[in-house]
Amino acid sequence: MSRVRIGAALAALIVASALVGPWLMPHDPIRPDYAARYAAPSAQHWLGTDGLGRDVLARSLSGGRVSLAISAGATVLTLVLGLVAGLVAVGLRGTVDVVLTRAFDALLAFPGFLLVLLLVAILGGGVWQTMLALGVAGSPLYFRLVRAYARSELGRDYVLAGAALGASRARLLLRHALPNFIGVLAVQAASTAATFLLVEASLSYLGLGVPLPTPSWGNVLQDARSFLTRQPWAALGPGLVLASAALALQFLSDGLRDRLDRRT
Amino acid sequence: MLRFALTQTLSVAITLVVVLSLVFVGMRALPGDAAAILSGLDAEQAQVEALRRELGLDRPLIVQYGAYWVDLLRGDLGHSIRERRPVSEVLRERMPVTLALAGAAFGLSLVVGLGVGLLAGRRPGSTADGVALGFTTVGLALPEFWFAFLLILLFAVQLGAFPVIGFPVEGALALRLWHLTLPALTLAIPRAAQIARLARARLLQEAAADYVRTARSKGVRPRALTRHVAANALPGLLPLLALELGGLLTGTIVVEQVFGLPGLGLTLLGAIGARDYGVVQGVTIVAVVVYIAVNMLADALQVLVDPRLRYA
Repeated sequence: MSRVRIGAALAALIVASALVGPWLMPHDPIRPDYAARYAAPSAQHWLGTDGLGRDVLARSLSGGRVSLAISAGATVLTLVLGLVAGLVAVGLRGTVDVVLTRAFDALLAFPGFLLVLLLVAILGGGVWQTMLALGVAGSPLYFRLVRAYARSELGRDYVLAGAALGASRARLLLRHALPNFIGVLAVQAASTAATFLLVEASLSYLGLGVPLPTPSWGNVLQDARSFLTRQPWAALGPGLVLASAALALQFLSDGLRDRLDRRT
Repeated sequence: MLRFALTQTLSVAITLVVVLSLVFVGMRALPGDAAAILSGLDAEQAQVEALRRELGLDRPLIVQYGAYWVDLLRGDLGHSIRERRPVSEVLRERMPVTLALAGAAFGLSLVVGLGVGLLAGRRPGSTADGVALGFTTVGLALPEFWFAFLLILLFAVQLGAFPVIGFPVEGALALRLWHLTLPALTLAIPRAAQIARLARARLLQEAAADYVRTARSKGVRPRALTRHVAANALPGLLPLLALELGGLLTGTIVVEQVFGLPGLGLTLLGAIGARDYGVVQGVTIVAVVVYIAVNMLADALQVLVDPRLRYA
């Protein structure tokens, strides 16, 4: 089976469980149940309960919704930011290009994780804030990719032919050049989504991303850290799903990249 | 050359000014200030005001900003509000832990990453390549702190071979290294996966070059050839290595938190929580300067070891 298929199947499974799972779960992921604190796995609580008596599986499934949504939203945001800014820079050239390039370069001066951390600290924790911080932090890569691809495509003969026929620069960029590299961006985006999943988990683990009691894979694991030695399963389960989700996206990205390479 | 050095320096200076201004303004846009947090929840309003005046936080933002730059240009990183001592002192105290951890992690990731990458890239499609692919795939998907949990459960709890948390700042070298083993391993594996992946790709790319085919057709032994291929392929790893080494100074935050290591990362986290502006700015300056410097060094090194780039 190809990596693309494995990745797609695994990703579909995880997304489906996050979408449907919380709806099927009989337990509330947020309301504490002090009578059932630190319960071991049982028929009722498959992954046991945490320090507030909440079902770990229920929190993991709901947390998956939040984590996957943040990763997906941030990926779209980063793609849109990079794409729009990159196309504007190449399209308008001159001062606009210089200013945009400088601005994105300033973001690249930060080591990756520090940038996200500072952005989240400044924006304050929360689902939307985390999404925004990740989206902004990821955008310089896409700006650079779009700018490089667009400029190289604009130098090709087919674009020259289009220009000779009187097509405007905007048309050349959007109708002729863009379709030739949008696929590469999509492949890269799958890999970025995997990274965002891991970074969001780290942020929420540090208590800076998604604030409690809203569950996300990161803060579910943060809870699990405090009773790691007593109840390792509470950390193993959600972590395994998180790692699988990142793995699935990475497989998808790598597999699709190989296919694109073979075609060109 | 002089012209190049000047434009580079200017470019770095501009970047630093922008970066520091962003952090300065950003930090002060946070809700709640250091005076309120230091005074505690049940402090009188007058008390908070007095503290605010004492710390100079009542001055207009633009004045604080100006004073900050005047101090900075004199080499003064400012004062830690929370710890009530110079920021430089705080940094000097916490830096060694992070440097040791980052150094150990980087060294380990280099050895493992290059080893796995070379093993995989020498014979694509072999069993060794398959195992290496598994390693890189899993390594890249591992959530750092969760991997730390696994190591803690296995080595510290089950086997009792390593300490779970803490760091003996005053302890003997061996003791300190012992405490750094699991944290360094946590940081090294995902980075080794990245290095191995790129090393393999670079080797395969280089092995497809014309000179390799010619040498092979003339009967050069594969072992002798590998050395030439590697020598040409591996300098291409320098940019990635620079990103990783430069990023480690603040890339250790999560691991420091999991293992309770009193380094720069924990200091930064605490400072953000306490709105200790000086320390956040101090850590950021150090991290950004090191990051830029390491990357520039790698660029220079690459040109040095690969003379072809000099004419590009």
